[in-house]
Amino acid sequence: MGDVMALIEIENLSVTFNANGRRVRAVEAVSLKVGEKASFGLVGESGSGKSTILRAICGLAPVSAGRIRIGGEAVQSPRGKAFSAQVQMVFQDPYASLHPRHTVDRTLSEPLAIHGIGDRDARVMTALTDVGLPTSFRFRYPHQLSGGQRQRVAIARALMLKPQILLLDEPTSALDASVQAEVLNLLMRLREERGLTFLMVSHDLAVIDHMCDRVLVMQNGRAVEELSRTALASAQMQTDYARSLFAASADRMLEG
Amino acid sequence: MSLLSVKNLQVTFNTEAGLVEAVRGVSFELGRERLGIVGESGSGKTMTGRAVLRLIRPPGRIMADAMTFDGQDLMAASEAQMRALRGRRIAMVMQDPKFSLNPVMRVGAQLMEGLRQRDHVSRAVAYAKAVAALDAVQIRDVDRVMEAYPHELSGGMGQRVMIAMMLIPNPDLLIADEPTSALDVTVQAEVLSILDALVRDRGMGLIFISHDLRLVARFCDRVLVMYKGRIVEEIAAKDLLHARHPYTQGLLNCLPRIGGTRGPLPGLDRNAEWAM
Amino acid sequence: MTMASSSWSTWLREPNPASRLQSRLVQAWLSWLRFRRNPLAMIGLAISVALVLMSIFAPLLAPYDPIAQALGNRLLPPGTPGHWMGTDDFGRDIWSRILFGSRITLYIVLLVILTAPVVGLIIGTVAGYFGGWIDQVLMRITDIFLAFPKLILALALVAVLGPGMVNAVLAIALTSWPPYARVARAETLTVRNSDYIAAVKLQGAGAMRVILGHVMPMCLPSVIIRVTLDMAGVILTAAGLGFLGLGVQPPMPEWGLMISAGRKFLFEQWWVATMPGLAIFIVSLGFNLLGDGLRDVLDPRSSGR
Ligand SMILES: Nc1ncnc2c1ncn2[C@@H]1O[C@H](COP(=O)(O)OP(=O)(O)OP(=O)(O)O)[C@@H](O)[C@H]1O
Ligand SMILES: Nc1ncnc2c1ncn2[C@@H]1O[C@H](COP(=O)(O)OP(=O)(O)OP(=O)(O)O)[C@@H](O)[C@H]1O
Ligand SMILES: [Mg+2]
Ligand SMILES: [Mg+2]
Repeated sequence: MGDVMALIEIENLSVTFNANGRRVRAVEAVSLKVGEKASFGLVGESGSGKSTILRAICGLAPVSAGRIRIGGEAVQSPRGKAFSAQVQMVFQDPYASLHPRHTVDRTLSEPLAIHGIGDRDARVMTALTDVGLPTSFRFRYPHQLSGGQRQRVAIARALMLKPQILLLDEPTSALDASVQAEVLNLLMRLREERGLTFLMVSHDLAVIDHMCDRVLVMQNGRAVEELSRTALASAQMQTDYARSLFAASADRMLEG
Repeated sequence: MSLLSVKNLQVTFNTEAGLVEAVRGVSFELGRERLGIVGESGSGKTMTGRAVLRLIRPPGRIMADAMTFDGQDLMAASEAQMRALRGRRIAMVMQDPKFSLNPVMRVGAQLMEGLRQRDHVSRAVAYAKAVAALDAVQIRDVDRVMEAYPHELSGGMGQRVMIAMMLIPNPDLLIADEPTSALDVTVQAEVLSILDALVRDRGMGLIFISHDLRLVARFCDRVLVMYKGRIVEEIAAKDLLHARHPYTQGLLNCLPRIGGTRGPLPGLDRNAEWAM
Repeated sequence: MTMASSSWSTWLREPNPASRLQSRLVQAWLSWLRFRRNPLAMIGLAISVALVLMSIFAPLLAPYDPIAQALGNRLLPPGTPGHWMGTDDFGRDIWSRILFGSRITLYIVLLVILTAPVVGLIIGTVAGYFGGWIDQVLMRITDIFLAFPKLILALALVAVLGPGMVNAVLAIALTSWPPYARVARAETLTVRNSDYIAAVKLQGAGAMRVILGHVMPMCLPSVIIRVTLDMAGVILTAAGLGFLGLGVQPPMPEWGLMISAGRKFLFEQWWVATMPGLAIFIVSLGFNLLGDGLRDVLDPRSSGR
C-alpha cells in the first residue's frame, strides 16, 4: 500500500512447529503491512495460522523464516521489556486468559510490577474506568465475572503498559451479541482516544468490516488475498476462497 | 411421540452468597428436529442443557415436573442409568473445548477412549473410527491431529475435535453448546451440514445452543429465546430475524453488518418485566 | 452482639471487596462455608485441632509426669482410678504419655510439612515449566527416590545419620518429596500452555516470576491435598522408625516407641500397645478426612465454572 510509514511489517514470515518429531508448517511466507493507527484484519479457514501470526509477533511461536519489524526496526529475540510496552495481545478465550487465582487487581498491577512502574493503585482504578468496569470490581476473582466482563479485564491488562499496538485474537467470538457490541464499541473508542493500531483476527466478516480498514484472507498457512474495506463490502474478490467466505456470510450483509 | 420432553425445569444454586436461580421454569418438547436456544450470557442456556443430562455439580439442584427422554423418566433414573445414557444416547458438546479436553493426553487417545472402554472394540477399529470422525469435521492432517496434544490445535480445531468425539457413538440426542463459535464460516457450514444430515437421515434430535442469532435463524427449525432463566419467546427459526419480542429485537440490533456504518453499535436495553 | 456478627458476615460475603485483605478473607470465608457442609471433613478438622490443643496444653492436661517411673503402679489396667488408660511396665500413666507424645507427633508432622512439599513443589514446577533436559534430569532423580519403598529408604538414611528424632524427620522428609514433585509437575504441564501464562510472559515477566507467582498457586491446592492425605503415612513412618528403635529414643513418649514397648505383653496387658495405636489411628484418620474435605474446597475445577 506504499503509505508513509508501516508500524507493523511482516515479510515472508514462516512458522514451523516441531510436534512429536513432525514438522507442522503453520504459516508459510506471509507478508503484511499495517500502517500507524490503522486497523488490519485477518480472516480465513480454521487452523490456517491466524493466531500463530499474532503469537509469532509476540515471540510465542517459532519463526523459521522471514522478518518481523515494528516501527521500522527488527524485533529482538527474546522480545524484552521494551517490546512489551509497545505491543500487547488480547486472547480469544476470556475464560482461559485470566489467572483463576488472581484478583482483577493483581492481574492489572502485574505488568506495572514487572516494569517497575509506581502509582499502581491510581493506575488500576483508571484502567478499570477506561474499560467501563465499576471500580468496585477491583478485588473480584475471574469466576465472579461474566465473559464480557472478563474480556474487558483482559483488554484493560493489555492497555496497562500503554502500548501502541494491540493484537486481538477473536476478541468477541466467545461473547453473546449484546456483549460483543459493548466490547467492539469499547475497542473503537479506545482506538480513537489513544491512536492505537489494531491487528485483529476474527471469523465474523461483519465484525471485520465494522472494525478494520484492510483485511488479509488466509487459507492453510498461506495468504490468499488482501482486500480493502470497500472491496470487501462490495464483494470485489479475486480468489475463489475469499469469494466463498463472503458467500457464506451473506446473512451478515446490510439489509437488501 | 417426542424424543425429549421437559416440563417446568428449574436449576438453582444454593451458594454461600445466596440462592441463584439459573433456570426458572423452562418447558419444551423436542422431536427429531433442530431446536435452537439463544439468549444473552448468563441467561441459563448451558444450565438447561446440562440439566437434561443431570450434569449439574453441587450445590446446584435440578427440579422438574417431568423430564422424559424416549419414554424414560430422567428425573427418576438412577445414576447408573444416567451414565448409560450419557455419551451413548445423549451427548453434549461442551462450550469450552480447552476446558473439556484433557491437556496432557493425545487427541487420538481421547477420541478412542470411549470406544475402547464403552464399546470394547479393537484398537484398530477404534483408530479407524476416530480418523473417520475427524475427517468428517474437515480436519486436514488427520494423522498429525491424532498424535497432537490439545494445546497444539487451533481454537477451531479443538472445537471440531469435541464435535467429532460426541458424534462417534451415534447419539439419539445431541446437545451442542456453542459448537461452532470458533469456526470460520465455510468450515462452520460443513459442520452444520453433518449435523443436519444426522437429524434428517438418522432422526437425531438436536439442541443447538448459540449466541449467533443469524446462524440459528438459518440452521434451526424452532428457537427458544431465553432471558434470566426463562423462555421469553418461542418462535419458528425462519421468523427469528423478524421477532416481535423487544428483547430478541434488541439482541438482533446489536449485531454489526457488512457495509454498515461504523458508528457505535446499539446496546441492549433490559427490561425487568421480561423476566417475570 | 447479633448486630455485630451479622455485619461481620455481610462484610465477609461482600461481592465487591474494598481491599486486598478483604477479598482474601471473603474467599477464605466462602471456602470455609463450603468446607463446613461436609460433616466428615469437620470431624477430620476437629481431630486435627484436638491434636494441636492436646500438644499445647499437655503439661496442664496430663495428670502425671510422662517419664518419671513409678514401679509400684506397673501395668495397671484401664479404668483404674487415676489412670483411666492404665499404666505401662514402668508404672507411667499412658494417658499422660499420649498427651506428651502428641507434641512429638505434631513436631514431626510440622517439620515434614515445612520441608518435603516445598522441595517437591520447586522441583516439580521447575521441571514442568522448562521441560527438555531439565525436566529429564529432575524427573529421573525423582524416579530413583520413588523406586525405593519409603520406609526402607528412611531406614537406610537413619542408619547412616544415626538414630534420633531430627534425623528421623530428615529421613522422612527426604523420602516423601518425590510424590509432591510429580503432582506439581503434572499440574504445571496442564497450566504452562494456557493463555494466562502466555499473557504474563508477553508482559515481560521472567521465568522466576512466572513460576512463583503464576504456576505455583495453581499447583498448591493439589499439593496441599496430597500433604494432608500423606500425613497419616508420615505419622506411621515416624512411628515405624520409633518402633524399630531408629527414631525418637526412650524414654521419650513417642507413640510408635510406646507400641514397640507394649508388644512384649500384648496378650496379657493389651492396653499398653493398644492405646498409642488408637491414638495413631485416630489422628491418621483425622488427617485423611481433612484432606478429603480440602479437596472439595481447594480443587480449582470445583470453584469457578
Ligand atoms: N504449539 C503447537 N505445536 C504444534 N502445532 C501447532 C501449535 N500451535 C498451533 N499449531 C498448528 O498450527 C496451525 C495453525 O494454528 P492457528 O492457531 O494459528 O490457527 P488459526 O488460524 O488461529 O485457527 P482458528 O481460527 O481455528 O483459531 C494449526 O494446524 C495448529 O494445529
Ligand atoms: N456453580 C454455580 N454457582 C452459582 N451460580 C451459577 C453456577 N453456575 C452457573 N451459575 C449461574 O447460572 C446462570 C446461568 O448460567 P449459564 O452458564 O447457563 O449461562 P449461559 O446462558 O450458558 O451463558 P453463556 O452464554 O455466557 O454461556 C448464570 O447467572 C450463572 O451465574
Ligand atoms: Mg486461532
Ligand atoms: Mg453457556
